[in-house]
Amino acid sequence: MLIWWGGSPSYNVALARSAEMVLRWSERPPVTRLRTEERQIIVERQDFARGSPRPGVPAHDLTFNFIIMMTLFAAGRETFSNRNVAGLLLAAAILFLTHVAGLIVTIKSIYALQLGAWSQANYGSVARNIWGAAAHFYRLVGMYAFAVGLWWLLRPGVVVEMPKGRSVRKRKSARS
Amino acid sequence: MSIARGGDERLKRDRALFLVRFIGIVVGLYILIALNPVNDHVIVPFTRFITVIAGWMLGAAGQQVSVNGTIIGSPTFAVNVENGCNGIEAVILLIAAVAAFPARWIDRILGIILGFLAVQIVNTFRVAMLFWLGAHHPTVFQLFHVAVWQSLIILFSVGLFVLWSWKFAAPKALATSR
Repeated sequence: MLIWWGGSPSYNVALARSAEMVLRWSERPPVTRLRTEERQIIVERQDFARGSPRPGVPAHDLTFNFIIMMTLFAAGRETFSNRNVAGLLLAAAILFLTHVAGLIVTIKSIYALQLGAWSQANYGSVARNIWGAAAHFYRLVGMYAFAVGLWWLLRPGVVVEMPKGRSVRKRKSARS
Repeated sequence: MSIARGGDERLKRDRALFLVRFIGIVVGLYILIALNPVNDHVIVPFTRFITVIAGWMLGAAGQQVSVNGTIIGSPTFAVNVENGCNGIEAVILLIAAVAAFPARWIDRILGIILGFLAVQIVNTFRVAMLFWLGAHHPTVFQLFHVAVWQSLIILFSVGLFVLWSWKFAAPKALATSR
């Protein structure tokens, strides 16, 4: 938890820049700018009226599944083995991509649902439902499923052959 | 016993298969609970039930609280128990993991029922403790609400699955296949 909390400010900057790049790539014209402020990611659009309040996304709400994944990797018997550390690093890299996706759908759900008349004018009912559901899914269960799934997929484990030819997996923490 | 040739490939394939099933079931269960009739007639009444039990626990611990729907309140503090606080997300993960794991159906059903009860007991304690923290130590409420208890409840759910798969489901499945 200390690693997550201590590394969050720098991590949030990388997260905001990556999400901004994808958002701007998908916009015509590109108008979204993201900046970090304390532990929030603030959404700036060049077409927002000056002086209007800027929506913010609490970054820790989107990224704290890192604690869950790290704990699961650390709970194995060979915490500092090369395979475990390599698995953790790869999982962390993939988890970063899910954080970028989580931030993008959260910002899109803000655009689609929370900007009043502007949202209604620019997003149809299908788009509003899709972005709203995607952000809700990520926040309610998706972020946990990604963390647990990455641990399950990339944790160390070996397969041993049973005497009669049947095989069973010998795991560090669980069978798969 | 000897290390199996090609075992790593099989392990990767098994894990990938589990992951596909797991994510698929998570998405399916999410869609189910997101449906308005399910939300209105199952999730909300269940959340009210959790709120009542948590309120009762706080009352038994000497706290002056009142419960109204999904809100627990006192003269100085109130919390609204919503989706994400009712333990359903942890139960969804547990059900998806148990259902995706190769095991006998009876073991799966047993794992889901016992796991559901265990998660909900811990979650009710979590709701009561979060209210107590908010009322008496508001500065740390947000940290515990978002990061600490959310992580603990998910890790508890994963821990239950690992225990189930390790101690109960896999040995029996293996024994039956011999």
